[in-house]
Amino acid sequence: MELLRWDVIVSYLPLYRDAMFLTLRIGWAGIAAAIGLGFVCALIRHYRIPVLQNIVGIYIELFRNTPLLVQLFFLYFGLPKIGLEIPAEPCGVLGLALLGGAYMAETFRSGLEAVEPIQMESALSLGMSRQQAVLHVILPQAVSISVPAFVANVIFLLKETSVFSAISLMDLMFTAKDLIGLYYKTLECLTLLVVFYLIILLPVSALGSILERRLRYAGFGD
Amino acid sequence: MRKNWIKKTSAAVLGLILTGSLLAGCGSGSGTAAQGADEPQAQETEAEAAGTEAADAAENENAGFRTLEEIQASGKITIGVFSDKSPFGYVDENGEYQGYDVYFGNRIAQDLGVELEYVSTEAASRIEYLQTGKVDIILANFTVTPERAEEVDFALPYMNVALGVVSHNDRVITDLSQITADDQVIVISGTTAETYLTKNNPEIKLQKFDTYATAKSAFENGTGVAWANDNTEVIAFAAENEGYTVGIDSLGSADTIAPAVTKGNETLLNWLNEEIVKLGEEKFFHADYEATLVDTYGPEFEETLVVEGGGQAAAPAQN
Repeated sequence: MELLRWDVIVSYLPLYRDAMFLTLRIGWAGIAAAIGLGFVCALIRHYRIPVLQNIVGIYIELFRNTPLLVQLFFLYFGLPKIGLEIPAEPCGVLGLALLGGAYMAETFRSGLEAVEPIQMESALSLGMSRQQAVLHVILPQAVSISVPAFVANVIFLLKETSVFSAISLMDLMFTAKDLIGLYYKTLECLTLLVVFYLIILLPVSALGSILERRLRYAGFGD
Repeated sequence: MRKNWIKKTSAAVLGLILTGSLLAGCGSGSGTAAQGADEPQAQETEAEAAGTEAADAAENENAGFRTLEEIQASGKITIGVFSDKSPFGYVDENGEYQGYDVYFGNRIAQDLGVELEYVSTEAASRIEYLQTGKVDIILANFTVTPERAEEVDFALPYMNVALGVVSHNDRVITDLSQITADDQVIVISGTTAETYLTKNNPEIKLQKFDTYATAKSAFENGTGVAWANDNTEVIAFAAENEGYTVGIDSLGSADTIAPAVTKGNETLLNWLNEEIVKLGEEKFFHADYEATLVDTYGPEFEETLVVEGGGQAAAPAQN
Protein backbone atom coordinates (compact mmCIF):
# COMPACT_ATOMS: atom_id res chain seq x y z
CA MET A 1 0.00 0.00 0.00
CA GLU A 2 1.22 3.45 -0.83
CA LEU A 3 1.94 5.73 2.06
CA LEU A 4 0.78 8.87 0.27
CA ARG A 5 -1.63 9.25 -2.64
CA TRP A 6 0.18 11.59 -5.02
CA ASP A 7 -2.83 12.21 -7.25
CA VAL A 8 -4.68 13.44 -4.16
CA ILE A 9 -1.79 15.70 -3.21
CA VAL A 10 -1.65 17.19 -6.68
CA SER A 11 -5.38 17.86 -6.71
CA TYR A 12 -5.14 19.67 -3.37
CA LEU A 13 -2.21 21.88 -4.41
CA PRO A 14 -4.31 24.81 -5.76
CA LEU A 15 -6.28 24.98 -2.52
CA TYR A 16 -3.11 25.03 -0.47
CA ARG A 17 -1.62 27.64 -2.78
CA ASP A 18 -4.64 29.91 -2.24
CA ALA A 19 -4.41 29.33 1.47
CA MET A 20 -0.70 30.16 1.40
CA PHE A 21 -1.41 33.43 -0.38
CA LEU A 22 -4.06 34.28 2.18
CA THR A 23 -1.66 33.46 5.00
CA LEU A 24 1.04 35.58 3.38
CA ARG A 25 -1.30 38.45 2.59
CA ILE A 26 -2.63 38.68 6.12
CA GLY A 27 0.75 37.80 7.59
CA TRP A 28 2.71 40.52 5.83
CA ALA A 29 0.07 43.21 6.21
CA GLY A 30 -0.24 42.39 9.89
CA ILE A 31 3.50 42.22 10.43
CA ALA A 32 4.17 45.48 8.56
CA ALA A 33 1.59 47.22 10.73
CA ALA A 34 3.04 45.52 13.80
CA ILE A 35 6.53 46.83 13.01
CA GLY A 36 5.27 50.38 12.64
CA LEU A 37 3.16 50.14 15.78
CA GLY A 38 5.93 48.47 17.75
CA PHE A 39 8.48 51.06 16.69
CA VAL A 40 6.34 53.98 17.79
CA CYS A 41 5.41 52.26 21.05
CA ALA A 42 9.05 51.45 21.79
CA LEU A 43 10.11 55.07 21.29
CA ILE A 44 7.27 56.28 23.47
CA ARG A 45 8.21 53.92 26.26
CA HIS A 46 11.96 54.42 25.99
CA TYR A 47 11.81 58.21 26.02
CA ARG A 48 9.07 58.14 28.68
CA ILE A 49 6.62 60.42 26.94
CA PRO A 50 4.06 61.29 29.63
CA VAL A 51 0.53 59.81 29.51
CA LEU A 52 1.25 58.05 26.21
CA GLN A 53 3.75 55.75 27.91
CA ASN A 54 1.08 54.61 30.36
CA ILE A 55 -1.37 53.88 27.57
CA VAL A 56 1.28 52.00 25.63
CA GLY A 57 2.24 50.07 28.76
CA ILE A 58 -1.34 48.91 29.27
CA TYR A 59 -1.66 48.00 25.60
CA ILE A 60 1.53 45.94 25.61
CA GLU A 61 0.64 44.02 28.75
CA LEU A 62 -2.90 43.39 27.53
CA PHE A 63 -1.89 41.97 24.17
CA ARG A 64 1.23 40.12 25.24
CA ASN A 65 -0.67 38.29 27.95
CA THR A 66 -3.71 37.11 26.03
CA PRO A 67 -3.68 34.49 23.26
CA LEU A 68 -4.25 35.61 19.67
CA LEU A 69 -7.28 33.32 19.53
CA VAL A 70 -8.94 35.27 22.32
CA GLN A 71 -8.10 38.59 20.67
CA LEU A 72 -9.55 37.41 17.35
CA PHE A 73 -12.70 36.15 19.03
CA PHE A 74 -13.08 39.51 20.69
CA LEU A 75 -12.52 41.45 17.49
CA TYR A 76 -14.67 39.22 15.30
CA PHE A 77 -17.47 38.04 17.56
CA GLY A 78 -17.36 40.61 20.36
CA LEU A 79 -17.19 43.96 18.58
CA PRO A 80 -20.29 43.39 16.37
CA LYS A 81 -22.31 43.24 19.59
CA ILE A 82 -21.54 46.91 20.10
CA GLY A 83 -22.19 47.67 16.45
CA LEU A 84 -18.63 47.61 15.13
CA GLU A 85 -18.46 45.01 12.43
CA ILE A 86 -15.13 44.12 10.84
CA PRO A 87 -14.95 41.52 8.03
CA ALA A 88 -12.83 38.45 8.67
CA GLU A 89 -9.73 39.40 6.72
CA PRO A 90 -9.18 42.92 8.10
CA CYS A 91 -9.94 41.35 11.47
CA GLY A 92 -7.07 38.91 11.01
CA VAL A 93 -4.71 41.70 9.98
CA LEU A 94 -5.78 43.82 12.92
CA GLY A 95 -5.40 40.96 15.37
CA LEU A 96 -1.94 40.14 14.10
CA ALA A 97 -0.91 43.82 14.07
CA LEU A 98 -2.03 44.36 17.66
CA LEU A 99 -0.42 41.19 18.97
CA GLY A 100 2.73 41.75 16.89
CA GLY A 101 2.89 45.44 17.83
CA ALA A 102 3.11 44.53 21.50
CA TYR A 103 5.92 42.05 20.90
CA MET A 104 7.78 44.30 18.49
CA ALA A 105 7.58 47.21 20.94
CA GLU A 106 9.32 45.19 23.60
CA THR A 107 11.92 43.96 21.12
CA PHE A 108 12.80 47.44 19.88
CA ARG A 109 12.79 48.81 23.40
CA SER A 110 15.27 46.22 24.57
CA GLY A 111 17.40 47.21 21.58
CA LEU A 112 17.19 50.88 22.51
CA GLU A 113 18.06 50.12 26.10
CA ALA A 114 21.06 48.04 25.09
CA VAL A 115 22.73 51.08 23.55
CA GLU A 116 25.08 52.49 26.21
CA PRO A 117 24.24 56.00 27.50
CA ILE A 118 27.80 56.99 26.58
CA GLN A 119 26.81 56.82 22.92
CA MET A 120 24.27 59.56 23.42
CA GLU A 121 26.64 61.62 25.53
CA SER A 122 29.41 61.30 22.95
CA ALA A 123 27.08 62.28 20.13
CA LEU A 124 25.90 65.33 22.05
CA SER A 125 29.44 66.36 22.91
CA LEU A 126 30.32 66.19 19.21
CA GLY A 127 27.73 68.91 18.65
CA MET A 128 24.84 66.80 17.38
CA SER A 129 21.35 67.78 18.37
CA ARG A 130 19.37 65.29 20.42
CA GLN A 131 17.26 64.50 17.38
CA GLN A 132 20.33 63.90 15.22
CA ALA A 133 21.87 61.71 17.88
CA VAL A 134 18.78 59.53 18.12
CA LEU A 135 18.43 59.27 14.36
CA HIS A 136 22.06 58.70 13.37
CA VAL A 137 23.65 57.11 16.42
CA ILE A 138 21.12 55.44 18.70
CA LEU A 139 18.54 54.02 16.30
CA PRO A 140 20.93 52.30 13.87
CA GLN A 141 22.54 50.48 16.77
CA ALA A 142 19.27 49.68 18.50
CA VAL A 143 17.75 48.26 15.33
CA SER A 144 20.82 46.17 14.64
CA ILE A 145 20.78 44.77 18.18
CA SER A 146 17.12 43.81 17.92
CA VAL A 147 17.38 42.02 14.56
CA PRO A 148 17.60 38.44 15.91
CA ALA A 149 14.64 38.91 18.23
CA PHE A 150 12.83 40.76 15.46
CA VAL A 151 13.22 37.84 13.04
CA ALA A 152 12.05 35.45 15.75
CA ASN A 153 8.95 37.64 16.17
CA VAL A 154 8.20 37.59 12.45
CA ILE A 155 8.36 33.79 12.37
CA PHE A 156 6.26 33.57 15.51
CA LEU A 157 3.61 35.86 14.02
CA LEU A 158 3.46 33.94 10.73
CA LYS A 159 2.93 30.75 12.68
CA GLU A 160 0.23 32.38 14.78
CA THR A 161 -1.88 32.71 11.62
CA SER A 162 -2.81 29.06 12.17
CA VAL A 163 -5.54 30.11 14.60
CA PHE A 164 -7.37 32.13 11.93
CA SER A 165 -9.69 29.20 11.29
CA ALA A 166 -11.64 30.40 14.32
CA ILE A 167 -12.86 33.42 12.33
CA SER A 168 -13.51 31.40 9.18
CA LEU A 169 -10.40 32.47 7.25
CA MET A 170 -9.25 29.67 4.95
CA ASP A 171 -5.60 29.79 5.98
CA LEU A 172 -3.30 26.77 5.63
CA MET A 173 -4.37 25.15 8.88
CA PHE A 174 -8.10 25.49 8.19
CA THR A 175 -7.70 24.30 4.61
CA ALA A 176 -6.01 21.16 5.86
CA LYS A 177 -8.62 20.54 8.54
CA ASP A 178 -11.45 21.24 6.12
CA LEU A 179 -10.12 18.86 3.47
CA ILE A 180 -9.65 16.16 6.08
CA GLY A 181 -13.28 16.65 7.08
CA LEU A 182 -14.44 16.50 3.47
CA TYR A 183 -12.38 13.66 2.04
CA TYR A 184 -10.59 12.00 4.99
CA LYS A 185 -7.12 11.97 3.38
CA THR A 186 -5.43 12.83 6.63
CA LEU A 187 -1.81 12.01 5.95
CA GLU A 188 -1.76 13.79 2.59
CA CYS A 189 -3.37 16.90 4.03
CA LEU A 190 -1.03 17.09 7.00
CA THR A 191 2.07 16.47 4.88
CA LEU A 192 1.07 19.30 2.56
CA LEU A 193 0.47 21.48 5.59
CA VAL A 194 4.02 20.94 6.87
CA VAL A 195 5.51 21.47 3.42
CA PHE A 196 3.63 24.72 2.84
CA TYR A 197 4.54 26.16 6.23
CA LEU A 198 8.17 25.36 5.47
CA ILE A 199 7.85 27.06 2.07
CA ILE A 200 6.72 30.20 3.85
CA LEU A 201 9.00 30.11 6.84
CA LEU A 202 12.34 28.72 5.68
CA PRO A 203 13.04 31.76 3.43
CA VAL A 204 12.17 34.03 6.34
CA SER A 205 14.67 32.22 8.55
CA ALA A 206 17.33 32.36 5.86
CA LEU A 207 16.68 36.03 5.17
CA GLY A 208 16.84 36.65 8.89
CA SER A 209 20.30 35.20 9.26
CA ILE A 210 21.58 37.18 6.28
CA LEU A 211 20.06 40.36 7.71
CA GLU A 212 21.63 39.59 11.05
CA ARG A 213 25.09 39.28 9.51
CA ARG A 214 24.79 42.41 7.39
CA LEU A 215 23.47 44.64 10.15
CA ARG A 216 25.94 43.64 12.83
CA TYR A 217 27.58 46.99 13.44
CA ALA A 218 26.44 47.82 16.91
CA GLY A 219 28.40 47.37 20.09
CA PHE A 220 31.44 49.37 19.03
CA GLY A 221 34.03 49.47 21.78
CA ASP A 222 32.70 46.44 23.71
CA MET B 1 31.46 30.10 14.45
CA ARG B 2 28.87 31.86 12.34
CA LYS B 3 30.07 30.41 9.04
CA ASN B 4 29.95 27.00 10.58
CA TRP B 5 26.38 27.50 11.68
CA ILE B 6 25.28 28.57 8.24
CA LYS B 7 26.95 25.56 6.71
CA LYS B 8 25.12 23.29 9.08
CA THR B 9 21.77 24.90 8.36
CA SER B 10 22.15 24.75 4.64
CA ALA B 11 23.19 21.13 4.94
CA ALA B 12 20.07 20.42 6.95
CA VAL B 13 17.84 22.21 4.45
CA LEU B 14 19.46 20.40 1.57
CA GLY B 15 18.99 17.12 3.38
CA LEU B 16 15.33 17.88 3.91
CA ILE B 17 14.78 18.72 0.26
CA LEU B 18 16.60 15.58 -0.82
CA THR B 19 14.54 13.39 1.49
CA GLY B 20 11.41 15.05 0.16
CA SER B 21 12.25 14.45 -3.47
CA LEU B 22 13.31 10.90 -2.66
CA LEU B 23 9.92 10.25 -1.10
CA ALA B 24 8.26 11.87 -4.09
CA GLY B 25 10.21 9.62 -6.43
CA CYS B 26 9.24 6.47 -4.59
CA GLY B 27 5.59 7.45 -4.43
CA SER B 28 5.10 8.32 -8.07
CA GLY B 29 7.09 5.24 -9.07
CA SER B 30 4.79 2.83 -7.31
CA GLY B 31 1.83 4.91 -8.51
CA THR B 32 2.62 4.36 -12.17
CA ALA B 33 3.38 0.72 -11.56
CA ALA B 34 -0.05 0.25 -10.07
CA GLN B 35 -1.66 2.13 -12.91
CA GLY B 36 0.12 0.10 -15.54
CA ALA B 37 -1.24 -3.10 -14.11
CA ASP B 38 -4.65 -1.57 -13.63
CA GLU B 39 -6.96 -4.18 -15.09
CA PRO B 40 -5.72 -7.41 -13.56
CA GLN B 41 -5.07 -5.71 -10.27
CA ALA B 42 -8.64 -4.48 -9.98
CA GLN B 43 -9.96 -8.01 -10.18
CA GLU B 44 -7.35 -9.26 -7.82
CA THR B 45 -8.19 -6.61 -5.26
CA GLU B 46 -11.81 -7.56 -5.31
CA ALA B 47 -11.01 -11.20 -4.77
CA GLU B 48 -8.54 -10.30 -2.07
CA ALA B 49 -10.82 -7.84 -0.36
CA ALA B 50 -12.43 -10.35 1.98
CA GLY B 51 -9.10 -11.82 3.00
CA THR B 52 -7.37 -8.48 3.44
CA GLU B 53 -10.17 -7.15 5.54
CA ALA B 54 -9.72 -9.91 8.05
CA ALA B 55 -5.97 -9.42 8.01
CA ASP B 56 -6.41 -5.68 8.46
CA ALA B 57 -8.68 -6.27 11.40
CA ALA B 58 -6.12 -8.51 13.02
CA GLU B 59 -3.41 -5.94 12.41
CA ASN B 60 -5.52 -3.12 13.80
CA GLU B 61 -6.23 -4.94 16.99
CA ASN B 62 -3.20 -3.51 18.75
CA ALA B 63 -3.06 0.01 17.35
CA GLY B 64 -6.40 1.03 15.79
CA PHE B 65 -9.16 0.13 18.18
CA ARG B 66 -10.23 -1.78 21.25
CA THR B 67 -12.52 -4.76 20.93
CA LEU B 68 -15.59 -5.27 23.08
CA GLU B 69 -13.63 -7.62 25.36
CA GLU B 70 -10.81 -5.15 25.76
CA ILE B 71 -13.22 -2.38 26.66
CA GLN B 72 -14.96 -4.55 29.20
CA ALA B 73 -11.65 -5.73 30.65
CA SER B 74 -10.40 -2.16 31.00
CA GLY B 75 -13.64 -1.20 32.76
CA LYS B 76 -14.01 2.04 30.83
CA ILE B 77 -15.42 3.16 27.49
CA THR B 78 -14.58 6.39 25.68
CA ILE B 79 -17.29 8.02 23.60
CA GLY B 80 -16.86 11.05 21.35
CA VAL B 81 -19.75 13.53 21.50
CA PHE B 82 -20.32 17.18 20.72
CA SER B 83 -20.02 19.60 23.58
CA ASP B 84 -21.56 22.62 21.88
CA LYS B 85 -24.53 21.26 20.00
CA SER B 86 -27.69 21.59 22.02
CA PRO B 87 -29.94 19.62 22.28
CA PHE B 88 -27.97 16.64 20.90
CA GLY B 89 -24.67 16.85 22.68
CA TYR B 90 -23.73 19.74 24.94
CA VAL B 91 -22.32 20.57 28.33
CA ASP B 92 -24.88 22.02 30.70
CA GLU B 93 -24.37 24.72 33.33
CA ASN B 94 -23.16 22.11 35.82
CA GLY B 95 -20.46 20.86 33.45
CA GLU B 96 -22.37 17.66 32.73
CA TYR B 97 -22.78 16.29 29.21
CA GLN B 98 -26.43 16.33 28.14
CA GLY B 99 -28.55 15.72 25.05
CA TYR B 100 -30.09 13.09 22.81
CA ASP B 101 -26.74 11.50 21.90
CA VAL B 102 -25.50 11.64 25.47
CA TYR B 103 -28.66 10.02 26.84
CA PHE B 104 -27.89 7.06 24.56
CA GLY B 105 -24.19 7.11 25.48
CA ASN B 106 -25.02 6.89 29.17
CA ARG B 107 -27.17 3.83 28.48
CA ILE B 108 -24.42 2.15 26.47
CA ALA B 109 -21.98 2.45 29.35
CA GLN B 110 -24.60 1.27 31.82
CA ASP B 111 -25.45 -1.84 29.76
CA LEU B 112 -21.79 -2.63 29.17
CA GLY B 113 -21.21 -2.25 32.89
CA VAL B 114 -18.23 0.02 32.46
CA GLU B 115 -17.21 3.52 33.42
CA LEU B 116 -17.83 6.24 30.89
CA GLU B 117 -15.61 9.00 29.58
CA TYR B 118 -16.89 11.56 27.10
CA VAL B 119 -14.49 13.23 24.71
CA SER B 120 -15.57 16.47 23.06
CA THR B 121 -15.16 16.36 19.27
CA GLU B 122 -15.53 18.78 16.40
CA ALA B 123 -17.43 17.84 13.26
CA ALA B 124 -14.35 17.60 11.08
CA SER B 125 -12.34 15.42 13.46
CA ARG B 126 -14.93 12.71 14.19
CA ILE B 127 -13.41 10.22 11.76
CA GLU B 128 -9.89 10.94 12.98
CA TYR B 129 -10.85 10.18 16.55
CA LEU B 130 -12.02 6.72 15.52
CA GLN B 131 -9.19 5.98 13.12
CA THR B 132 -6.55 6.81 15.69
CA GLY B 133 -8.37 4.85 18.39
CA LYS B 134 -8.76 7.89 20.65
CA VAL B 135 -12.41 7.02 21.21
CA ASP B 136 -14.27 3.70 21.05
CA ILE B 137 -17.55 5.08 19.70
CA ILE B 138 -18.57 8.34 18.04
CA LEU B 139 -22.05 9.46 19.07
CA ALA B 140 -21.72 13.00 17.76
CA ASN B 141 -24.87 13.27 15.64
CA PHE B 142 -23.00 11.49 12.90
CA THR B 143 -24.93 11.31 9.62
CA VAL B 144 -24.43 8.09 7.66
CA THR B 145 -22.98 8.77 4.19
CA PRO B 146 -21.33 6.38 1.71
CA GLU B 147 -18.04 8.34 1.87
CA ARG B 148 -17.93 8.14 5.62
CA ALA B 149 -18.91 4.47 5.57
CA GLU B 150 -15.67 3.80 3.71
CA GLU B 151 -13.69 5.21 6.62
CA VAL B 152 -15.65 4.00 9.65
CA ASP B 153 -18.28 1.38 10.44
CA PHE B 154 -21.77 2.62 11.23
CA ALA B 155 -24.11 0.72 13.53
CA LEU B 156 -27.89 0.78 13.12
CA PRO B 157 -29.41 4.28 12.99
CA TYR B 158 -31.19 5.96 15.89
CA MET B 159 -32.38 9.18 14.25
CA ASN B 160 -33.52 10.62 10.91
CA VAL B 161 -32.05 13.75 9.42
CA ALA B 162 -31.97 15.86 6.25
CA LEU B 163 -30.35 19.19 5.51
CA GLY B 164 -32.01 22.50 6.26
CA VAL B 165 -31.31 26.16 5.62
CA VAL B 166 -32.13 28.88 8.12
CA SER B 167 -32.08 32.57 7.23
CA HIS B 168 -32.82 35.96 8.74
CA ASN B 169 -36.49 36.98 8.86
CA ASP B 170 -35.92 40.05 6.69
CA ARG B 171 -34.71 37.89 3.82
CA VAL B 172 -35.96 34.34 4.01
CA ILE B 173 -34.23 31.95 1.63
CA THR B 174 -36.75 29.37 0.46
CA ASP B 175 -34.75 28.11 -2.47
CA LEU B 176 -31.02 27.87 -3.10
CA SER B 177 -31.47 29.79 -6.38
CA GLN B 178 -32.23 32.93 -4.33
CA ILE B 179 -28.63 32.98 -3.15
CA THR B 180 -26.67 35.41 -5.31
CA ALA B 181 -22.99 35.46 -6.14
CA ASP B 182 -22.41 38.15 -3.48
CA ASP B 183 -24.01 36.13 -0.71
CA GLN B 184 -22.26 33.80 1.63
CA VAL B 185 -23.75 30.75 3.26
CA ILE B 186 -22.41 29.61 6.60
CA VAL B 187 -21.51 25.95 7.03
CA ILE B 188 -19.56 24.04 9.62
CA SER B 189 -16.42 22.39 8.32
CA GLY B 190 -16.77 18.62 8.10
CA THR B 191 -20.58 18.43 8.06
CA THR B 192 -22.87 16.85 5.47
CA ALA B 193 -24.16 20.33 4.59
CA GLU B 194 -20.66 21.35 3.53
CA THR B 195 -20.19 18.19 1.47
CA TYR B 196 -23.60 18.55 -0.15
CA LEU B 197 -23.17 22.19 -1.15
CA THR B 198 -19.57 21.68 -2.29
CA LYS B 199 -20.70 18.85 -4.52
CA ASN B 200 -24.08 20.04 -5.79
CA ASN B 201 -23.91 23.83 -5.63
CA PRO B 202 -20.25 24.75 -6.10
CA GLU B 203 -21.30 28.25 -7.21
CA ILE B 204 -22.50 29.13 -3.72
CA LYS B 205 -19.83 30.85 -1.66
CA LEU B 206 -19.40 29.10 1.66
CA GLN B 207 -18.13 30.69 4.79
CA LYS B 208 -16.73 27.89 6.89
CA PHE B 209 -16.43 27.72 10.64
CA ASP B 210 -14.86 24.95 12.62
CA THR B 211 -17.27 24.74 15.53
CA TYR B 212 -21.00 24.99 15.99
CA ALA B 213 -20.54 27.76 18.54
CA THR B 214 -18.51 30.03 16.23
CA ALA B 215 -20.87 29.45 13.31
CA LYS B 216 -23.79 30.37 15.55
CA SER B 217 -22.14 33.57 16.82
CA ALA B 218 -21.19 34.64 13.31
CA PHE B 219 -24.69 34.01 11.99
CA GLU B 220 -26.21 35.97 14.86
CA ASN B 221 -23.83 38.83 14.08
CA GLY B 222 -25.26 38.99 10.59
CA THR B 223 -22.49 37.17 8.74
CA GLY B 224 -23.91 35.19 5.82
CA VAL B 225 -27.42 35.28 4.35
CA ALA B 226 -28.16 31.76 5.48
CA TRP B 227 -26.84 28.89 7.51
CA ALA B 228 -26.98 25.36 6.08
CA ASN B 229 -26.81 22.48 8.50
CA ASP B 230 -28.71 19.37 9.59
CA ASN B 231 -32.40 20.30 9.54
CA THR B 232 -32.77 19.20 13.16
CA GLU B 233 -30.25 21.83 14.12
CA VAL B 234 -31.59 24.70 12.07
CA ILE B 235 -35.12 23.97 13.31
CA ALA B 236 -33.80 23.97 16.87
CA PHE B 237 -31.88 27.18 16.21
CA ALA B 238 -34.92 28.99 14.78
CA ALA B 239 -37.08 27.73 17.65
CA GLU B 240 -34.65 28.97 20.28
CA ASN B 241 -33.74 32.30 18.71
CA GLU B 242 -36.01 35.16 17.64
CA GLY B 243 -35.81 36.54 14.14
CA TYR B 244 -34.91 33.47 12.11
CA THR B 245 -36.91 31.29 9.76
CA VAL B 246 -36.14 27.87 8.35
CA GLY B 247 -36.87 28.59 4.68
CA ILE B 248 -35.73 25.18 3.44
CA ASP B 249 -36.44 22.35 5.85
CA SER B 250 -35.46 19.40 3.70
CA LEU B 251 -32.59 19.57 1.25
CA GLY B 252 -30.81 16.65 -0.33
CA SER B 253 -31.59 13.07 0.55
CA ALA B 254 -33.12 11.89 3.79
CA ASP B 255 -30.33 10.42 5.85
CA THR B 256 -29.96 8.70 9.16
CA ILE B 257 -27.77 9.25 12.17
CA ALA B 258 -25.98 6.31 13.70
CA PRO B 259 -23.20 5.47 16.13
CA ALA B 260 -19.86 4.83 14.45
CA VAL B 261 -16.94 2.63 15.46
CA THR B 262 -13.46 2.20 14.02
CA LYS B 263 -13.43 0.33 10.71
CA GLY B 264 -13.26 -3.40 11.39
CA ASN B 265 -14.23 -3.30 15.06
CA GLU B 266 -16.81 -6.01 14.57
CA THR B 267 -17.31 -7.12 18.15
CA LEU B 268 -18.24 -3.63 19.28
CA LEU B 269 -20.33 -3.02 16.15
CA ASN B 270 -22.33 -6.22 16.66
CA TRP B 271 -22.88 -5.43 20.30
CA LEU B 272 -24.14 -1.94 19.41
CA ASN B 273 -26.53 -3.31 16.79
CA GLU B 274 -27.94 -5.83 19.26
CA GLU B 275 -28.20 -3.10 21.86
CA ILE B 276 -30.12 -0.80 19.50
CA VAL B 277 -32.55 -3.57 18.52
CA LYS B 278 -33.01 -4.52 22.16
CA LEU B 279 -33.61 -0.91 23.20
CA GLY B 280 -36.31 -0.73 20.55
CA GLU B 281 -38.43 -3.14 22.56
CA GLU B 282 -38.60 -0.72 25.45
CA LYS B 283 -39.05 2.31 23.14
CA PHE B 284 -35.82 3.72 24.48
CA PHE B 285 -35.30 6.36 21.80
CA HIS B 286 -38.83 7.67 22.26
CA ALA B 287 -38.00 8.09 25.92
CA ASP B 288 -34.75 9.73 24.87
CA TYR B 289 -36.67 12.16 22.63
CA GLU B 290 -39.08 13.00 25.40
CA ALA B 291 -36.25 13.60 27.83
CA THR B 292 -34.02 15.70 25.60
CA LEU B 293 -35.63 16.92 22.38
CA VAL B 294 -39.30 17.52 23.16
CA ASP B 295 -38.64 20.98 24.61
CA THR B 296 -37.10 22.09 21.35
CA TYR B 297 -39.14 20.32 18.71
CA GLY B 298 -42.41 19.60 20.46
CA PRO B 299 -44.21 16.27 20.28
CA GLU B 300 -45.12 16.62 16.58
CA PHE B 301 -41.59 15.84 15.36
CA GLU B 302 -41.21 12.70 17.49
CA GLU B 303 -42.16 10.16 14.84
CA THR B 304 -40.27 12.04 12.11
CA LEU B 305 -36.99 12.15 13.98
CA VAL B 306 -36.83 9.02 16.09
CA VAL B 307 -35.68 5.74 14.62
CA GLU B 308 -36.50 2.91 17.00
CA GLY B 309 -34.64 -0.38 17.09
CA GLY B 310 -32.65 0.54 13.98
CA GLY B 311 -36.05 0.20 12.30
CA GLN B 312 -35.47 1.97 9.04
CA ALA B 313 -32.03 0.52 8.49
CA ALA B 314 -33.24 -1.05 5.26
CA ALA B 315 -34.18 2.30 3.74
CA PRO B 316 -30.73 3.84 3.18
CA ALA B 317 -29.40 0.50 1.94
CA GLN B 318 -31.87 0.62 -0.93
CA ASN B 319 -30.65 4.00 -2.11
